[in-house]
Amino acid sequence: AKFASDNQGLDEVDDTDDLDPVAEREAWKERELARLRRARQELEQEEAEKEEIENRRQMNERELT
Amino acid sequence: KQHLYATGQVECTRRATLEEVRNRLDYLRALKKQQSQNLEYDITKQIELRKQ
Amino acid sequence: MSDRYIVDRGIVHGAKSIHDINPATLIEKIVRERIYESLYWKEQCFGLDAATLCDKAVDLQFIGGHYANQRVSPFLCLTFKLIQLQPEEEIILEYLNQLDFKYLRAIAAFYVRLFFPAEHVYSLLEPLLQDYRKLRLRTTSSVKLTYMDEFVDSLLTGTRVCDTTLPRLPKRIALEDMGKLEPYKSPLESDSDSDSDSESGGE
Repeated sequence: AKFASDNQGLDEVDDTDDLDPVAEREAWKERELARLRRARQELEQEEAEKEEIENRRQMNERELT
Repeated sequence: KQHLYATGQVECTRRATLEEVRNRLDYLRALKKQQSQNLEYDITKQIELRKQ
Repeated sequence: MSDRYIVDRGIVHGAKSIHDINPATLIEKIVRERIYESLYWKEQCFGLDAATLCDKAVDLQFIGGHYANQRVSPFLCLTFKLIQLQPEEEIILEYLNQLDFKYLRAIAAFYVRLFFPAEHVYSLLEPLLQDYRKLRLRTTSSVKLTYMDEFVDSLLTGTRVCDTTLPRLPKRIALEDMGKLEPYKSPLESDSDSDSDSESGGE
């Protein structure tokens, strides 16, 4: 209670869990899927970059010979 | 307290053991449970009061 | 090099070095100064040990760094207290793996991210990506709703969380390549296979 004045504005955001368990779980699923998508994209991008480097290396070798 | 820092002393606290931490958490769990029960009790009391 | 540290206003005394630096310096100097000045630090954090710190952590109302008039959050104060206390790893794990007090868990997660080796950061924090309990996140401008999984994700992928610059964390894939980590397995992956097929049909 000592820090009550400090806690103004906190009431506006309710952090009580399980008010609507189904919706809360669904919202989590969305976030988790978005994270998985992001991870996959990063991986694909990295592989594309690797491939690009490899291509360039081969091109350089061909030019040298 | 500042001067303690200035002299390079850190307040001396005992090191708590894992067991103490576990006991503390158990105690806090019990406390939380009790508080939520009290809260419910208060609400039912309020409802009864309103009925009167 | 001496194994004792110069004490700069209460910086951990003789603490073991983590990431080759004095652990307290992971919290930026300006934040440390504000912690020392804060009422919460002076009144609530004095004399806490790893057990009594739980009392304060379970009462936390929000996570965050600075808020309002450059005040520093109790969340950071308690994290800093933990840094000074340097509890055994098993105590941090006890905080992290208990399920009753989400804000205590959030502190432990933050601490793990700051001080544990990279492969443990992943192996310990990734299970928390399934914890979707709500957390208040307070910044200088507002109070926002976030979730444990979102907070943990920001610890794993972000560089700055709660006004603290996180130590560099190698990418997950790098640790997988070194054989230090198994690929991440989401609980959703088995039943999301069907819709991931439609997305990646280009090969």
